[in-house]
Amino acid sequence: MARRTKAKKKTAARRPKRAARGRRRTKARNTRKFLLFALFWLLLAAVAAVVYLDRAVQTKFEGKRWALPAHIYARPLELYEGLRLNAHELAAELEALGYRSAADTGRPATYRRRGGEFHITSRSFRFWDGEQAARRFVVRLDDQHVSALRAQDDRGALPLARLEPLLIGSIHPAHHEDRTLVRVDDVPENLISALLAIEDRNFYRHFGVDPRGLARALWTNLRARRAVQGGSTLTQQLVKNFYLTSERTLRRKLIELVMALSLEAHYQKDEILEAYLNEIYLGQRGNRAIHGFGLASQFYFGRPLQELELHELALLVGMIKGPSYYNPRRNPERALARRNLVLEEMVAQGFVAEADVAKARERPLGVTTQALTQKTAHTAFVDFVRRQLQRDYREEDLRSEGLQIFTTLDPRVQHAAEHAVRSRLTALEGQRGLPADSLQAAAVVTTTDNGEVLAIVGGRDQTGGGFNRALDARRAIGSLAKPAVYLTALQRPNRFTVLSAVDDSPLVWKERGAPPWEPQNFDQRSHGDVPLREALIHSYNIATARLGLQVGVTDVIDTFRRLGIEQDLPPFASVMLGAVGITPVEVAQMYQTLASGGFRVPLRAIRAVLTVDGAPLQRYPLAVEQAAAPGPVYLLSTILQDVARTGTAAALPKLLSPELNIAGKTGTSDEFRDSWFAGYTGDLVAVVWVGRDDNKPVGLTGAGGAMRVWSDMMRRVRPTPLLLTPPADVQTVWVDAETGLLAAPECAGAVEVAFIKGSAPTQSSDCVPPTASPDRLRRWFKKWFR
Amino acid sequence: MVSLVRQYFFSWVIVGLLVGLTGCATAPPRGPVPAPEPATVSQKNVVVALLDQAQGEHRRGDTARAAASLERALRIEPRNPVIWHRLARLRMEQGDYAQAQSLAAKSNALAPTDAQLRSQNWQLIGEARRRSGDRRGAEEAFARAQSVLEP
Repeated sequence: MARRTKAKKKTAARRPKRAARGRRRTKARNTRKFLLFALFWLLLAAVAAVVYLDRAVQTKFEGKRWALPAHIYARPLELYEGLRLNAHELAAELEALGYRSAADTGRPATYRRRGGEFHITSRSFRFWDGEQAARRFVVRLDDQHVSALRAQDDRGALPLARLEPLLIGSIHPAHHEDRTLVRVDDVPENLISALLAIEDRNFYRHFGVDPRGLARALWTNLRARRAVQGGSTLTQQLVKNFYLTSERTLRRKLIELVMALSLEAHYQKDEILEAYLNEIYLGQRGNRAIHGFGLASQFYFGRPLQELELHELALLVGMIKGPSYYNPRRNPERALARRNLVLEEMVAQGFVAEADVAKARERPLGVTTQALTQKTAHTAFVDFVRRQLQRDYREEDLRSEGLQIFTTLDPRVQHAAEHAVRSRLTALEGQRGLPADSLQAAAVVTTTDNGEVLAIVGGRDQTGGGFNRALDARRAIGSLAKPAVYLTALQRPNRFTVLSAVDDSPLVWKERGAPPWEPQNFDQRSHGDVPLREALIHSYNIATARLGLQVGVTDVIDTFRRLGIEQDLPPFASVMLGAVGITPVEVAQMYQTLASGGFRVPLRAIRAVLTVDGAPLQRYPLAVEQAAAPGPVYLLSTILQDVARTGTAAALPKLLSPELNIAGKTGTSDEFRDSWFAGYTGDLVAVVWVGRDDNKPVGLTGAGGAMRVWSDMMRRVRPTPLLLTPPADVQTVWVDAETGLLAAPECAGAVEVAFIKGSAPTQSSDCVPPTASPDRLRRWFKKWFR
Repeated sequence: MVSLVRQYFFSWVIVGLLVGLTGCATAPPRGPVPAPEPATVSQKNVVVALLDQAQGEHRRGDTARAAASLERALRIEPRNPVIWHRLARLRMEQGDYAQAQSLAAKSNALAPTDAQLRSQNWQLIGEARRRSGDRRGAEEAFARAQSVLEP
């Protein structure tokens, strides 16, 4: 205003000067010329801008259509008669998969439970070995086992029923978006109807913008005195979603307009709609945005979009307007009102019958109580999977090609492990007066013979990801190293048997490149000559060191390598007592080899990878390598079973059932910085580490810390007993406990001991035929086998 | 009953194949033709069903899927030496001689008293060694295939 007055004054001042007229005309011409010139450039700029925006929106659209995260699945639950499973666990699995308890199990993903009997209708699912149709079957669970399995439609027994696997994670594009792609042809019709009714009823008729729709929306909203309808078309909303800001400026509106028109010019309506369905922002989980109806359906209802009913679809559509404002978990009343509004609009526009809506309106929101945790948990396991994948795939393919990755994770075992770590660490801190949250832990569980990784715990807090101790924490393994020494010795049956005398007298060892080494026993005592097996059962350091030096450090290190320790170990004698940092997952590999009788199976977390269309891309087959002869490994396992009966892990049978015959080894590093336990049952191998991240002492032995976590975990998992099969070259003989000489079973104090054939004692004790036995030997054995 | 016949069929086809192939070589010491596997490979219906399935897939020439079915059976019965033996045979067919040997050795470790199966495993190990050029090792294995059958 002020400026205009000033300008008027100026013109007024000029008026009398007629001489200036010619100049003025020239000036006007100049101005016109300038304006034309400016207009030209402006137009050019506008054209350039349009061309630019056109290209930009196309690039964005194409990019959006194909950036699909890889999806990672747990193992599918295979049901068969005899499977160890209880009703609680089966119900948990079904819940996690989003199955609904229903009286009528006609629809997929429903079940009916009566006591231990489950009627289940599964979903169809494309596995690595082909499509599996939805099927109806009945499972009976009795006494912690599947006692019967049959197809529902016939009376015949069904040998095997496989549930689809649980989605446990995704490998996302870099910008923290998550997505479960849906195809426009596959989504429920009611979803599209609801969408058109509330957001853009002219979608199939307009050209990207809808002036009539805008006017109607304004009118409707004015009349209702609240925002009922949105003015922008789906196309405009899609464009807006491409750019994550919600800036509301004229410039942004113009850009949106141009882009919307451009999209419509280049693509079919259904392509735009499909992009919209997969792109629209529908909520937030932590720092991860929920985009698209596919994922939103999982996020809010725990079920795939195809299974949602009218009222649930209406809720999702209603949330578009403000996913946070209408968040059904936080603002259920608002969300309910909005949902019902969508339902009304659907009736008003003739998409659905009033009767159907009347029923839908009565339904509760139906959202799950919390966002599905399965995607945020298992971070340590998913991390392991990613690392295995990164060896075989490019990072960008993992993030964008929509690969389907089938893993070995067993959610039941994973939960048991996580729970054991969490609760036991808290309990230990309480009992030992340690500062809260000072302890950390890692755990790895694998199957014995197949080397499949069932669970990985990377720390006590699993939600945040962060440092994965199971894979990255290299901690001194202490006595967990010892079995390598004893195995090396037992592989020389002509020199060592389980009864060979090993010297436990004080030792000072000097070698070049390392300070003098003076191993001490835990009890600070020396035990003189001890039978080999006792030295391991009681974890004597000096005896083990001497035995290792006898067989040679290089040979022991070679045994480590064969058992599966991949890192280069320093060639020092102290390595034999575990003065070397090794990760829990590598320790698990070592004990897997021992547990499976010397057959190393490289630990696998992936079974197969499929393309987005379900075509098999890669299988990760079971591979086996014989790392040690079965005989010596068998002998070692029998000793490790005694560790968990009478040795350093003697408390274990009281914590778990003694019938499990667990083979295990405790490990405690210097000054109690690390507490380890590694052990195996008939079907599982598990390793647990407990310590502090800053490597300060925690004051826990292997048995006092890690073994507690281990046993808590196993109690929930219910493993099978370890029943060792003596290999063909092993013989079991009765020996006199006093002398170590052959005895008859009925002799007093006779014990059964395994030997590699040809290495068993040949002399008989006086119990069998009365022969003189040396008194010294008699006293020595008496001490150990009492 | 039908499934049993199929099992036998499968065994004999493979055994025949192996024998035929060993015959082509310059007569390594060979044991007698191994007897077919025991009729009951497993007490569990589910394992029998999966082994049947693997045989069907194998007959259709889909060795990858047959291997996957065998692995599935191994998850249920990981200490069943017959399944390990069958996987060894399959790897042999696929030309993976190293795995064929390891898997047969694993089968042996789990079958300390089953002379028939041990003999078949040694036969397989011998054949795998022969095909990968280890003639002496092959002879040793064939000798063991014979000796394990002797009382």
